[in-house]
Parts: sequence; C-alpha cells; structure tokens
Amino acid sequence: MVKRMPGAMIGSLLPGLLLCMTAAAASDEPQPQRVRHGLVALYDFSEADGTAIRDRSGVEPSVDLVIERPDSVRWLGTGLQVEASAVILSAEPAERIIDAIKRSQGLTIEAWVTPANAEQSGPARIVSLSKNPSERNVTLGQDKDAYDVRLRAESTDRNGTPSTASRRNLAVPQLTHVAFTRIADGTTQLFVDGELAGAGEAAGSLTSWDTSHRLSLANEVTGDRPFLGTLHLAAIYDRPLSPQEMQQNFAAGSVAFNPPPTPAERNALAFSEQIAPLFAKHCIECHDPAIHEGGLDLSRGSAALRGGESGAVITPGSAATSLLWESVASDEMPKGRAPLSLSEKAALLEWIDGGAAWPTDVIDPVIYRHSNRAGEVWVQRLTVPEYIATVKAAVGVEIAAEARQRLPADLRADGFSNTAYNLGVDLKHVEAFSQLAEMIVGRMDVLAFASRFSKSQSLSTDNTMREHVAKMGLWLLRGPLDEREINAYCGIATTVSSAGGDFEQAMRFILEAMLQSPRFVYRIENHRGSGEARHLSQFELASRLSYILWGGPPDEQLLEAAERNQLRGQAALEAQVARMLKDPRAVERSLQFVDEWLNLDRMAHLQPDGSRFPQWNASLAADMREETRRFFEEVVWSENRPLADLINAPLTFATPQLAAHYGLAPAGEGFQRYELPVGSGRRGILSQGSVLTIGGDDASMVSRGLFVLHDLLRGTVNAPPPCVNTTPPPTKAGLSQRGLAEVRIANQQCGVCHARFEPLAFGLEKFDGIGASQSQDEHGNALRDDGEVLFPGEAEPVAYRSSEELMNLLAASERVQESLTWKVVQFALGRPLVAADAEKLKEVHRVSQENGGTYASLMKAIVFSDLVQKTATEKAE
Amino acid sequence: MKSRPVSRRPVSRRTMLRGLGSVTVGLPFLEEMHLSNAAAAEEAAVPVRAFNIFFGLGIPAPLQQEGFAGVLEPLKPLRDKLLVMRGVDHVRADEKGINAHYDGAAAAFTAAPPEGEAKAGGASIDQMVRRQWYPGGLPPGMVPTLVGGTFFRRSRVCRYVHSFNPDGTVAATMQEKPRDLFERVFGTVAKAGDAADDNAQRLRRSVLDAVVDEYKYFTSVHSPLGATSKARVSEHLERIREYEQRAFALKGKVPEAPELPAGSRLLHGGAADPGGEGIDITLEELTAEWRLMAELYALAVTTDRTRFGSLTFLAAGERIRLKGDYAYEGRTVFAFDDAGQRKRSGSGGCSHEWWHDFDEKKSNEQLRAHAHLKLREVAYFLSLLDTPDALDPNGKTILDNALITISTESGDGRHNDVKRELSGVFHAITGAGGRFKTGQLLDVQAEGLDVYNTMLAMMGVTQRLGPGNRPFTPVESIIA
Repeated sequence: MVKRMPGAMIGSLLPGLLLCMTAAAASDEPQPQRVRHGLVALYDFSEADGTAIRDRSGVEPSVDLVIERPDSVRWLGTGLQVEASAVILSAEPAERIIDAIKRSQGLTIEAWVTPANAEQSGPARIVSLSKNPSERNVTLGQDKDAYDVRLRAESTDRNGTPSTASRRNLAVPQLTHVAFTRIADGTTQLFVDGELAGAGEAAGSLTSWDTSHRLSLANEVTGDRPFLGTLHLAAIYDRPLSPQEMQQNFAAGSVAFNPPPTPAERNALAFSEQIAPLFAKHCIECHDPAIHEGGLDLSRGSAALRGGESGAVITPGSAATSLLWESVASDEMPKGRAPLSLSEKAALLEWIDGGAAWPTDVIDPVIYRHSNRAGEVWVQRLTVPEYIATVKAAVGVEIAAEARQRLPADLRADGFSNTAYNLGVDLKHVEAFSQLAEMIVGRMDVLAFASRFSKSQSLSTDNTMREHVAKMGLWLLRGPLDEREINAYCGIATTVSSAGGDFEQAMRFILEAMLQSPRFVYRIENHRGSGEARHLSQFELASRLSYILWGGPPDEQLLEAAERNQLRGQAALEAQVARMLKDPRAVERSLQFVDEWLNLDRMAHLQPDGSRFPQWNASLAADMREETRRFFEEVVWSENRPLADLINAPLTFATPQLAAHYGLAPAGEGFQRYELPVGSGRRGILSQGSVLTIGGDDASMVSRGLFVLHDLLRGTVNAPPPCVNTTPPPTKAGLSQRGLAEVRIANQQCGVCHARFEPLAFGLEKFDGIGASQSQDEHGNALRDDGEVLFPGEAEPVAYRSSEELMNLLAASERVQESLTWKVVQFALGRPLVAADAEKLKEVHRVSQENGGTYASLMKAIVFSDLVQKTATEKAE
Repeated sequence: MKSRPVSRRPVSRRTMLRGLGSVTVGLPFLEEMHLSNAAAAEEAAVPVRAFNIFFGLGIPAPLQQEGFAGVLEPLKPLRDKLLVMRGVDHVRADEKGINAHYDGAAAAFTAAPPEGEAKAGGASIDQMVRRQWYPGGLPPGMVPTLVGGTFFRRSRVCRYVHSFNPDGTVAATMQEKPRDLFERVFGTVAKAGDAADDNAQRLRRSVLDAVVDEYKYFTSVHSPLGATSKARVSEHLERIREYEQRAFALKGKVPEAPELPAGSRLLHGGAADPGGEGIDITLEELTAEWRLMAELYALAVTTDRTRFGSLTFLAAGERIRLKGDYAYEGRTVFAFDDAGQRKRSGSGGCSHEWWHDFDEKKSNEQLRAHAHLKLREVAYFLSLLDTPDALDPNGKTILDNALITISTESGDGRHNDVKRELSGVFHAITGAGGRFKTGQLLDVQAEGLDVYNTMLAMMGVTQRLGPGNRPFTPVESIIA
C-alpha cells in the first residue's frame, strides 16, 4: 500500500531508498505540509507497537488513547490494522476537544483509512465522540460503501440523524482520505480524497454537546459498532477546513511525519540529481563503452570505479586522492570543452567526499538531456487541433476553418507542437478566442443547448439559474464549478437581465465567457500541495484520459464516471480506456502523433531543386504525407501490430504517381496497398519519402543519421565544437556521400560523434533526396546500403548488409522499441521527458511490451502509469 | 464621514455646461448676465427632470411615526425641501409566490406587481414624465435615462433597477461601478447615442469582465496552479487587458469632463451576490463607493448630462454583513457588526435579518442603525443637488425643481403578513418646482397608485399608471 506520494525525482531513481524513508516515520516533528491551524487532536499511529496511541496535536492536555483489546489489532508500520472488533478509547472524557468545538460551532474530522471491506455498517465507527450507539456528539463512520457522519445539533436528534452521507461506491478497501466539516451556519460537507462527496445540514447550535463523551476510534464506546480495516491517521480540528485546506491535507498524504535522509541517502540522491547529469553532459561523450578514452568508461558504476589506463580515478570518500577530481579541478578535463562550473565542481567534490554512491546501473545520457526543470508542470493550453475538437465535442459547432485562420499556429518545441511550455499566448490568441467564442455561439441553437442542462428558462439566480450554470459549466469546463465560478457566470445573467435582455441572450453571453475562460482554453489542474506528486482528482484524470487518447474533452460517459468516482478501480478504468480506444477519435489522435513526430506538415512546404528533381510536385509531396499516415493507420489500427513494425513492415500505400516514383508497378487509382518485395530495399517509415526527405536534396548522411540516432535510438551527441566548418564539401566522381561521411568518421576531432550516427544512414544511401531509388549518384558513383549500428551504451557496433537488414535490426532492438515508447509518452504528456521520468517510462514500456507492444497496449500502460495518474505539486506560496 | 471628491480637479459646472454645447439647460440668473442675451433667452427655461431614489429593506411604519427624532433624522436638514409621505399602501403589488422583497421593490415607483422575474409591472414615474415631456427624445448628446447604484443583491432585476419602460422592461442598463457610470455619462460612446449598439457593447464588456476575473483568479494566491503555470496565465491576463484596452477603452470623453475615477475595489457582478449568501463589507467601503457613485450621478444631473433615471443605494433584500463604527453629527450611533451580533455567517448573518426580526415592542437597535445610515446616504445624494452649484435659471436648486421620489421596498419587513409588509411603505418627494407640499410629514393613507398618479398629473403627464378601468382618486393632500 502506498502511504505517501513520493517526490518525483526520488521516486523514480531511488525506490528502495524511498521505501526505507517512508516506512521509518518516527519523527516527532510535525510535517509542515498538513494544516495545523485549528488542530485539536491528531493520531498518526507512528508508535508502531504497544497499546497507547498518543495525541500528537501538541495541544495540552493531550487526549491519548488506549487499545483495550490489543489482540484485535496489528501494527503495520504504516498504521494500525483493526482485524477484529477493537476498543480504542480516550481514558478520560474528551472535554478539551468538545469544548473547543462548542465554542467555535465548527469542526473538521479527518481520517486516512483503508476499510477492510465495503459491507460493514452500523455505521461502523471510525472516529466517534459519543456515549453509546444512540447518543452522540459526532461520529464519522462507514455505512456499507459510503461514509456517513452523524452530528448532534438543534436540527438533528440525539443520535445525530439525519446524517450526512457520501455518495455510494466510495468506502472501498483502498487507502482513502475522508473528512467531514461543519461550518457554524449548520452546513455540513463530506470530502473523500479531497473532493466533495456529500453535503447536508446540521443546523442550529452545538450547545447541546455533551462534554462527558469519550473519544473512540474504530468502534463505538460500547464496543458494538466495530470498524475493520487500517487506520493510518485521524485528526480533529475546531474549525471547518476550507476545500483548499482539505486538498492540502489530502496531498500531504497519510503519513504525518517523515525522517530526514541519512548522509548515505543524501549522497545517493546527489548522484541522481547532480552527478549523473554532470557526467552525461561533460564526460560520457568520450568516456562511454564505445569510445572509452584512456580506457575509462564513466557511464557505469563498476567501470567508473575500476578506472582506466591510469588506474582508479575515483576514491570514494576522498576527492583529494581522486584523479577524476584532480583533472576536473585543474580544468584539464573535459578536454577541448568548457570547464565545469564552480557549482558543478562543488557538487562533484561533495559527492566523492561523501562516499561516491552510484545507485543506478548505467547513466543513459538521453535521460539527462533536459534538466528536471523541463519536467515542471506547465498548464497546457489547448493546441489548435485540441481547441477545434473541444469546441466540436462541447457544443457541436465545427469551427476548424475559422480557428485555423485566426489562431496563431502552435510552434514545435522538442519535436512536438503540443509541448506545454511552448504553448504561449499573444494578443492574437486573445482576440481570436473572443471572436471565435462569438462566432461559435452565433452558430448554436442556444436554447436547445441550454435545455440539455435544465428545462428552466429562468434568469433568476434565486431559482434555477445557479443550477443551470453549474450543470452547463461542468460539461463545458470539464469539471464541477465552485461557488465563486457559479457566482461569476450568474453575474452575467443578472447583468443581461438588468439591461433588459432575455434568457437566450444571457445564455449566449455566459457561453461566450465560458468559451474564453481559462478552464476552457487551458487544461487546468491543481498543482498546489505538499511539493510531492499527488493522485489526480477524478475530473482531472478524465480530462487527461480524453486529451491523451482523443485530443479532445471527456464525453458524457467519462464525466459521469468521474462524478461517480468510477475512474479509480483498475477494472473500471480499463473498461473506459478500452471503450475510448475503439472510438474514431483515438485513431485521429494517433495520426496527430505521427504528423507531429515525423513533422509531416513540412511536406507541404518542401521545395527541392527543380533541375535535380523535375518529377517533384505538390501532389507527390501530399501523397508522401498521406502514405505515411495510411501506413501508420494500417499497422497500428487495422492490423494492431507492435509499434516496432512501423520500422520494417514490408507494405505501404501509394498513388500511381508515388508508386512510379518508388519504382513500383501502379496497382490502381488512388491509394492502394502495396506489398514490398524482398530486395526492393523498402520497408517501414525510413524508406518512405516523408522521412527520406529529411536529408534534403543531397540526401545528407548527417541529417538522416541524426534522425535515426535521435528519434529511434535516443542517442545524444553534443554540438560540433566551435570554429568547426560544418558545411560539407560537395560530392564528386569517386567521392559519394558515404565517402564524405567516412572521411568525417576517420577525423580524430569529428569522428567521436559522427561515428555514432552517420553509419546509421549508410543503409539509406540508395534513396535520393526525394526518396526515389538509385544505384549510383549524379557523378556515377556506385551506391551501397551496408553499414553498422552502434547502439547507445554498447561498446561494439552491429553490422548490416542491406537497408532491409538495417530496418530489421532497428525494429528488433529494445532500444528502438523503448524510443517509440518515449516518443508516444512525450506526445501524451505534452512535455519533454526528464530523468525523474526514467523509471516510470521503463515500467510503461515493460507493461506495454508484455501486452504486445501495440499502440493500444502502450496507451493503456501510459494512462495507468503514475505519469498520468499523478501530478507534481508545489508548496503553497 | 467626509465626502470624497469625485476628482482631484474641481469641475466647474458652468464650464461643463458651456463645453457640452448641445445642451439646453440654463445657468443661474446671475451667471447668465455674463452670457449674451440671445443665449440667455434660449437657456432660460428650467428643464423637467424626474429621478427615483431607492434604498433597500425600508423603514417600518411604526418607526416612520417617530419623525425626525427617529431614523428619519438624516432627512431633517432637507426637511423644507421634502414631503415625507407615510401610510402609502402597495398591497396591490403583492404577488403570491413571489419573494416579498422582490414584489415590494418592483412596486416602488410603478405601483404594480412585477411581471415575471426580469420585468416590472409597468412604467416607473421618471419614465412616464420623460415620455410626456420629451416624446421626440432628449436633446442630442444627453443620456436619455441614467440608471446606477451600489447594491449587493441581484437575483432579480427589480431588486435594484428602478427605471422601467411602460412594457415593464428596464429603461437603461444598470451602471454598477462608478467607473461604468462615468463612462456612460462622460464617454463619447454614450454621446454617439446608438443605444442598441451601446447596450450590446456594454454587455460584451461584462462578458470580458467575467473572463478577466477568471484569469485573475488563476493568477491569484488562491490559484491552484504552480508558479510556471501561473506565469503563463498571467501572460494571458496581460494580453486580455491589452485586448480590452483596444476593444473597449473609453474612446474619449466629452470636453471638460472630470478625471476618470479609479477602478472599484468592491465586489460586483455575480461575485457581489454569491447565491444570496451575502458578502462582508465595511462601512468605509460601502459609503466610499456609494458616495463616489452619488457624486458622479449628481454631476451628471447638474451638468445636464441626464434628466431622468434612478439611483439605488442597496438592493431590495440586500445581503451584506456590515461592520464598522457609525457616527452621525459627531455622535456615535452604533457599531455595526451584523455577523457577530447575529452570531451567524452566510445569509443568516446579513443585515436584512434585522428586518425579519422587527418587533415594535423592542428596541430594534440594529435595524434602526441600518435605516438611519440608509437615509443619511440618501440625504447625501440629495444635498448634492441643493448646492449653489446646482442652481437653475429660476434661482432655485435642482432639488427644488426636479421631481425626485425616494422610496423603498417595505413598510415592515416581516414577510408573514402582506398587509403589514406592503402598507405604510416609506416615501418622500421633492417639491418639483412648487407642485407639491414640502416641509411636512404627511400621513397620506392612500394607495401608492393614487399617490403616483397624482404626482404624474401634477407633472403634466396625461397617461396614468395602473389598470385602465380603475378610477383615479387624486391624493390632494400632497398637492401644494
């Protein structure tokens, strides 16, 4: 059972370490993330054994509890498991707590629990201030699959009924945060996992509360209403926590306290956070298994500690006697590159002196390509396609043409145009959102639309307008509105009304406002919390699912599932994902992915040299784009093949024009499927015009090789050193592109990097700049398609004899398969992937491969992973 | 409390009147001496004006009987210019199933029950007069009807708008922020005079206001977003403001208009009425905003930018939890603390509950203090029309010459008895150029409909309010 949401960085790289940290939970220091103001009792079960449970609120006198039937409970380290009817009671009446609540007339009762089942009732008492089964001040309990709170007030009886109950299906055997609030005016609310799950009223004064009641956990004082399950935390406040504070406590997790890391743990953390990125950036370029300058490989712990030709370079615990430190401190290393910064040097020094822990197997430089800052949570503005899809789904208006005309195009960053940090906003966006909103609403049957949410056409906010706005807002803004928002949108209705406008006009203006609001234009999620990752709310998850799988908003079924808390169970979520993957929108979204990944839009703008490529024209370019899309759809959807087959599937789709261009006998009008014969050299996307044109008119080995290195092998190379002439010399008789590449590879200065990627493109030399087959170049040089692949992290390259062998080699490569996973995940998340994601990515890939390695299996693995299920949080300002 | 000047630069009414050019109001006689004879002749007439002044909740009939010794005290300095009418009966305006605050407020100035939730049952007094005297419209450049107010209950229109066309629709868009009222009066958009476009423009602006508020929220300390995301939304907000500036900025203002007042700090729009649950507000906040609104409205009247309309100080069934020490004429009247004294939050802690609790056998000190405050603020506005800067050509002030009707929503506040609630609704009127008695507290004991029709008749209006077949019984006791 996960007790706390681990920090992203720690959790990804040091799972063992983290487990050790959370299990300890023995400090008396209160965890600052939890709300303290108004706290009158706190039980965190950190005792780990014995029969006494201390009140850790810090308020005197403490209301400690005693376990009267120790045999019925078991200490788990993560809480107290109640296995049979137990009695856990305060020795004295909880007078201090009761008095505080009577004074304030408001309260919060909060618990982290894991119910044993969804059947216990009574209600089964979780936290109770009561005398017997029919006389109480307040009791938080479980009644079958719902939570229930009885509170005695003027409007309720001595038993506290009518009670406030949560929705059904929430009290299930899983770690749950449940909290009840009562504000002084009598309003009661029940929150489950930070979200409002029920409301009611216990009006009037609490002056009738009895100060002689004792506090009990997991049972009625009389021992006849047991709760079975695990208690992780229980707290009482003498004031109602706000919804934001409720979220804060939920985000703080079920463990109240956390010990500081040990020096060894800090050293391991320093490696993950500072040293591995440092080696990746400055050292591994020359000191990897393949190049291993001086016989030193700094990519693996064992190799690094073993050292190189000069012996050991790292002496754990002593930087002063470490050759590595000596060469870095003197700026001898990195050779030919900029020296390390002072802060980098300081980190290296501290790490070696601290013991040089190396808690990971291999440093894969690509993981550190982006700093962890690149993984920061940026609110995601809807991309233009997402905006169009969202409008269409939300109000049924097709606005594609107008939106594409008015909204500035989203710019690519890190290979995709949905990268959140790059989805900025300028005046043109604002103007367009305003104009489009007016246009969209102008095309709607507003009254018919409004009637989906309420038959009422009342403008009065005392009647149905608030409810109307709330329901409409839930649909349009993809989650429930809070009171502030309802007030704001209702204000438009009353303003229209006071200007003599009618219901329809009010709805028009409300719709216009909603269509421009941040919750429509952005995918808003709650980023506030303890600073650690937290589980998404149900509505946040619904939005993530729909935008990842469909590129559009949640449909009614998904929102309904979110509203009923039915996106938390594995089976329910699986059913939703399976349903969504059958929807045509999932296909469309996947095609957006391939468009973005291979930047297929550039086909419309290519202008090869007409004198060299007279056969080139716009329709051929369009055919190449469409070829790739159809090929992708066939492999991924029609045949449901593993994604790796995109690299070597011996089929394609072509028009007669494109078929002729490829040297295939045209099979009929329009796009036809072609089986690619062995020996044709063509198979998979690397042999399609849309990808081959990446090499430009000269079919550059550098550009094509870098594409394979970056996009299929996740390899990294640094930029050429300054002052290097990067303009390649022209080919000539006796010197083909491959010949030029071999010159570069043989060069001592260039070869370190070029050896990593140019041989990858050797297998494509028989395709010219626009993808036609050729056996010799324009100078009559005979062309070859044999070569070798140096997989990143490996010491030796693997040879291939033909382009077909290259494709098969790549498709069979775990590295390539992982790379495809990374690409899809990056598009799904809308941000670059960083070191903190690495472990989760491995898991996503593993699960996906176990289920066939298909697009569908990958999407399932992605949405079930913590990458999607959780979000990073920041502490409140 | 001292009044706050509308602008840092004093505005000369005379300069304004000359600068506006197209207006026809005359300057006071002595000043006219400086004008040409021809101009003086043209501007000699005193224009017909009519305004409705509304305040929420009302003065329970028993308290009205205490005269200026009780909660009517703030009207005492103006008593010679006012006729206080007691015993005005609006029982005919009761509409079963309709919120009592609402039908009482709808009856004010129309003497009719509301028609639905957004319409009054007929025309209001000011609009009847306007139609009679300006059948072809007001002089060019003038705001035909100016509706403004400071209010915090907006679930139904008649709670806070008090100028209505004969078909019961609102006569003009409510200006609920001082700055909005300023732009309506002194902006050149208003001067262009295309009412329909103007209205649509203003509504669209209210949409943008709501959008801006949403973006502001997501950049505020309450935002659920992290720092980077907040920065992104902040950028968006800046661009919206840039857009707002381009799309809706005041295109210009009439020459010699005062400086644009600062933006309001109080809640407006939907946030001002969170589902009837009320807002916390200090006496300082409430009166500062109201007085700025009152000063701008008075300036619009004295500079002849408008001759008809209504002004609201707190809506019917207002939902505020007022806090602050209230002093009048150097003495402490009361320390407002509605929520604390009622020991309730939300609606239950709001001032209107004091009216529900009214009992003539008890002291009703909170209600008295609130009612006293309301009349102090109404008197503040009225006094602005009674200064030397508000003299008409006949040497009298606008307060003397205009028909100003002051009323409210109920005569009691206890919803369980319609007769008690809608009888004895407080009214006061000005002399309207000597047409009505002033300097008296009169027990008229008449239907509001007859009182209003008597006022209309005396203003030369030929049409009557109310059912066509109902015989009109003039209330002669109010006629001078």
